[in-house]
Amino acid sequence: MLETFNFRVILEYMPLYGQCFLATLWLSALSLLGAIIVGIIACAMRLSKSRALSTIAGMYIESIRSTPLLVQLYFFYFGLPSMGVMLPEWVTGVIALTLNSGAYYAEIIRSGIQAIDFGQIEAGIASGLSYFQRMRYIILPQALGATIRPMLGQAIILVKDSSLLSLISIVELTRAGQLLTSERFMPAEGFLTTAVFYLVLYYMLKAFSGWAEKRLIFREAH
Amino acid sequence: MWSFYFHELMRSMPFFLKGVWMTIAVAGLSLVFGTIIGFIAGILRAGRNKPARFIVGAWVDLIRGTPFLVQVFIIFFILPGIGIELEAFPAAVIALTNLTASFICEIVAGGIIAVPTGQREAATSAGLSYYQQLRFIVLPQAMRTIMPPLVGQYVLLVKDSSVVSAIGVVDITRVGWLTVQRVPEGLMVFGLVGLLYFAICYPLINLSGFLERRMTVASTRL
Amino acid sequence: MISFKNVNKWYGDLHVLNKIDLEVAQGEVVVVCGPSGSGKSTLIRCINRLEPIQEGELIVDGMMVHDKKTNMTKVRAEIGFVFQSFNLYPHMTALENTTIAPIKVRNVSKAEAEKLGREMLTRVGLEDRIEHYPTQLSGGQQQRVAIARGLSMKPKIMLFDEPTSALDPEMIHEVLDVMRDLAKEGMTMMAVTHEMGFAREVASRVVFMDEGKIIEMAPPNDFFTNPQTDRGKYFLKSILTH
Repeated sequence: MLETFNFRVILEYMPLYGQCFLATLWLSALSLLGAIIVGIIACAMRLSKSRALSTIAGMYIESIRSTPLLVQLYFFYFGLPSMGVMLPEWVTGVIALTLNSGAYYAEIIRSGIQAIDFGQIEAGIASGLSYFQRMRYIILPQALGATIRPMLGQAIILVKDSSLLSLISIVELTRAGQLLTSERFMPAEGFLTTAVFYLVLYYMLKAFSGWAEKRLIFREAH
Repeated sequence: MWSFYFHELMRSMPFFLKGVWMTIAVAGLSLVFGTIIGFIAGILRAGRNKPARFIVGAWVDLIRGTPFLVQVFIIFFILPGIGIELEAFPAAVIALTNLTASFICEIVAGGIIAVPTGQREAATSAGLSYYQQLRFIVLPQAMRTIMPPLVGQYVLLVKDSSVVSAIGVVDITRVGWLTVQRVPEGLMVFGLVGLLYFAICYPLINLSGFLERRMTVASTRL
Repeated sequence: MISFKNVNKWYGDLHVLNKIDLEVAQGEVVVVCGPSGSGKSTLIRCINRLEPIQEGELIVDGMMVHDKKTNMTKVRAEIGFVFQSFNLYPHMTALENTTIAPIKVRNVSKAEAEKLGREMLTRVGLEDRIEHYPTQLSGGQQQRVAIARGLSMKPKIMLFDEPTSALDPEMIHEVLDVMRDLAKEGMTMMAVTHEMGFAREVASRVVFMDEGKIIEMAPPNDFFTNPQTDRGKYFLKSILTH
């Protein structure tokens, strides 16, 4: 098969791949940001004293964790229009990715927080800090250290999950492979090139994860 | 209008149940093969043979670094290129088995490495061979660490199986996708799809917790 | 039985065994002591090649342990090893701990192995704990099971690596009693330990090590009452006055 591997076609499609690589990057980054925000909010709700907030957050997290991302994606893609909400595909995609990873981030942050020594929290209460102040100044900064690795792990998962957006016609890295397949009948060239691009992203993220951990550990040694 | 669609949806129930059966078939087969291959790979990954460790490690990295959808496309579209004709169902099982095996490999290797070195030293001192040690001393103890994440992996397997709908396998997700063309009520259709996956995954998630408690009691505590 | 000839071992740059010459005859009981980091544990662990040596000759029961081609399974079958942290198999009962090696290594039948296992467990005083799991046993009991496990291979040599160091004080004597009986029955033993009473009673020789070298070697009474070297004197003083 390798003898007939058509590198020229890949070169021809490089501009497209370049665009799609950026699209994947941008879609992932946006969703990542959203997911972290959603995760923090959902976690705060889950850990709050209010039964109602806690239950709502709990239901959200459990339903995300027990259903596939693709189903969630289709749910929004087909469901929103049926409610009269018309959105560009990429917005729907970002919403689905955000809500999906948001639930997992909520759990990651929750375990990071629950790993913190309760004495710290008591000290905060004793000095009169409110719930949100304790969260902001005492709890979240410490939770960061423990959670940096799982959070980056989830980020890697999110980048891979973004490939599903190709199934709702969004032009990103996987779609590039699909286009090479449908336009030129070259699935090998198409999808292997796609795979290489994802691997590049994967190793970049892994390297960043290693660097970030080192930097944080150094800070804690202070 | 809504009640009309609801009625149509209910009439499609047999179709959905066929989809459930297909999901179970794909996931079930991949679970069995993936576990067997995953255990063998995990033993190699934690073993003495350096080249084997490296090769298995590279394979795991490749799979973790690329999206499952891309892997499915590669297996489905490219294998015929080297002479293996594949229909959607076998391609799906191969891809899902491959994915599951790589994750189980890491879980098993981690469990084996977690067994205290003293155990191996005692077994070595008694004259037990490497494989005798693995079989009678190391693996039985490793199972305690392996079981909960293993069942967690099975939950992921069911969710990831939804991706194979992209190559035409008529599982729950595909049934939903086909149905929503006739019954344009995305919320209802994919709500049902989600519910069906939830029914399978939620008990599995609880099984993981139950097994973790049972494993701890059976082997050590009074 | 055990013969070290000019044995040298390094961990990287650290010279952990330095020109060791030592002969242990059959039926001898040798106690090895010294400050931490002296290489005493390493010395013992080399005998059944838990650790390899880099230079020199190490001959155990006529077999060349230093030679990479030697089949260690045969050697290890003749040596019982007792660890500081017991290392009992937690998923097996006391009996199963003693029978697994005879069955798998010596190819003894299950029935015979169990008979022998029961004998050994009775010998160490645990006949009523045969079906218990390690977590159901106290430290002293676990260590005695470990000794029974070593004995059930019917070895020619028993090695002990600080067998009582991880035990609460009140449990030390039950393990030492077993070791004492073994010594009196003529078992060839080498033990790394600081239990001087034990050494005085049954050891034929005490080997004092420091920084990888054998500094002094003498019958226990001679060593304890009249150490010849300054380091020996210093060591004895520091362990006797705590």
